[in-house]
Amino acid sequence: MIRSFINLLQLAWLQLVRHRLRSLLTILGVASGMFLYTSVETIQRSLSAATEMTAADTTLVVYRENRFCPSTSRLPEYYSEEIRRMEGVREVIPIQIAVNNCGASLDVITFRGVPAETLTAYAPEIEIIAGSEDEWLKRDDGALIGEVFAQRRGLIPGDRFEAVGVIVTISGILRSPNAQDNNVAYVKLPFLQQATKLGLGTVTQFNVRVNNADQLESVAAAIDEFFRSAEQPTNTRPEKAFFSETASELIQLIRFTRWLGMGAVVAVAALVANALLLAVRGRIKENAVLRTLGYPGLAIGCLVVSEGSMLGLIGSAVGVGGAAAFLAWQSFTMGNEGLTLAIQPDAPVILTSMIAGLALGLVASIWPAWQAMRQPIIQSLR
Amino acid sequence: MMIQCQQVSKSYYKGSTVVTPLQALDLEVPKGEFLALMGPSGSGKTTLLNLLSGIDSPTSGSLIIAGANISTLKQRELTAWRAKHVGYIFQLYHLVPVLTAFENVELPLLLSGLSKAERRERVHTALKLVGLADRHDHTPAELSGGQEQRVAIARAIVADPPLLVADEPTGDLDRDSATRILELLRELGTEQSKTIVMVTHDARAAAAADRTLHLEKGQLLENLQTT
Repeated sequence: MIRSFINLLQLAWLQLVRHRLRSLLTILGVASGMFLYTSVETIQRSLSAATEMTAADTTLVVYRENRFCPSTSRLPEYYSEEIRRMEGVREVIPIQIAVNNCGASLDVITFRGVPAETLTAYAPEIEIIAGSEDEWLKRDDGALIGEVFAQRRGLIPGDRFEAVGVIVTISGILRSPNAQDNNVAYVKLPFLQQATKLGLGTVTQFNVRVNNADQLESVAAAIDEFFRSAEQPTNTRPEKAFFSETASELIQLIRFTRWLGMGAVVAVAALVANALLLAVRGRIKENAVLRTLGYPGLAIGCLVVSEGSMLGLIGSAVGVGGAAAFLAWQSFTMGNEGLTLAIQPDAPVILTSMIAGLALGLVASIWPAWQAMRQPIIQSLR
Repeated sequence: MMIQCQQVSKSYYKGSTVVTPLQALDLEVPKGEFLALMGPSGSGKTTLLNLLSGIDSPTSGSLIIAGANISTLKQRELTAWRAKHVGYIFQLYHLVPVLTAFENVELPLLLSGLSKAERRERVHTALKLVGLADRHDHTPAELSGGQEQRVAIARAIVADPPLLVADEPTGDLDRDSATRILELLRELGTEQSKTIVMVTHDARAAAAADRTLHLEKGQLLENLQTT
């Protein structure tokens, strides 16, 4: 039984290989559709990772009330001392943000000015993979840049680059489990405050880490309550909610792309089904001969389904692999209002896209297979 | 007896008209006989061949071949029976164009459960028997009509069925090729003890058979020749 099935698979493979042009064109079509599907899924997944809360999320963002862009959110730096004293707060870091483009963009450069001595205490998960933190601490214009950003711009330690009128020297390249960190350049807070002419003592936001996720809401409420009557009232939200609200237009746009992904899936299914229907029609006599030789209808159907599945799988491998390679190479980062969304393919997206391609090929070949199985032998031989 | 047909009839609808290509036909073919069936178009020759090969079922009557009453078999059983007991040779060869001679001949063995080595051995033997041992890797497009038909014969005998049915196997060949094919069929009958039923319009081809029967309007007319 298994041997017979393997033989049928080999026969289906021969049919694909020997009908080279037809197979190549179909695979190309499937690959194009799966390229689009994988790209869309990668964007969707990146968005989910950036906006969906998990039990491990313990970060709050304190922003100026009624402000949505880094250039307009200005808070006194001394707020950090007040926040640090509040119950439930584990660490707080004042951040000055400068971006080259406040609107939606695929290539955002974000500077985050932070107090040098608090960065590693605030974010111990950050790992320096090239250069050194010491070098960063020594230089006023030193920058620790995220690895995705470094890859996108082809930057290495020792390089200098300029954006938003700020010229920095790269001291090191960092890697972080938080996607946002991998797309920004960390510089010293006073340096950025002066370089952007914002002035010392003013920052864009505070990132606050609470002791556990259960305290997010209570601490956020306490911060906003504390500064309600202060010179600059605040609006405090969990980091992912902050992203969801601040980049809502971008998110809507990204969510719309899901329809493109679905369209690609339907196109792939229709393409495979059409190719197989044509193949089945072109092989009516051939299949009748196989039936005459003692092939059950099920074996004929199995041949067609095998061909469809192989087309789906090979097309997926090309399309998904191409999309993964392209996205990894380009390191696209969608940005809006100073927030960045790194579009990086990951193993679950690649795996599910491959399975989707195989399933599409299989499902799309069911009807052609049914047609092939039901062809009457005698009429087909005439 | 290899074939025993008793009161075999076949009818089908063509639109609202009932067509009966075979009517109450009785026929016996002993094992190892080479039988030729002749008759005008529409006489029921091909219908009889289809019934004998198990790709069609009679409307009534009994059809016992190689000891099995195939008129009572279900479709799935008939398919399995066909794979073991019948080799079909078509007028237009019907080889799979994208497969080589070897792969075409191997087709009936793919679902047999034989190992790759066993299949290779059998295909090689079959191709050798039809004189095409050196054409393993040739596709049908690279073979002459006569060679294609020999590949088709190799495909028909590779599973070693006791019965070969041939539907005008020389109808599309020149005289020399036809003669060689008929010689080959005769050899298969005498040396391999195959029972062969061949439909033909060609009296010269029929002359190669042990016996020739004429069909007309779905009934056997006469027994012309016994060699």
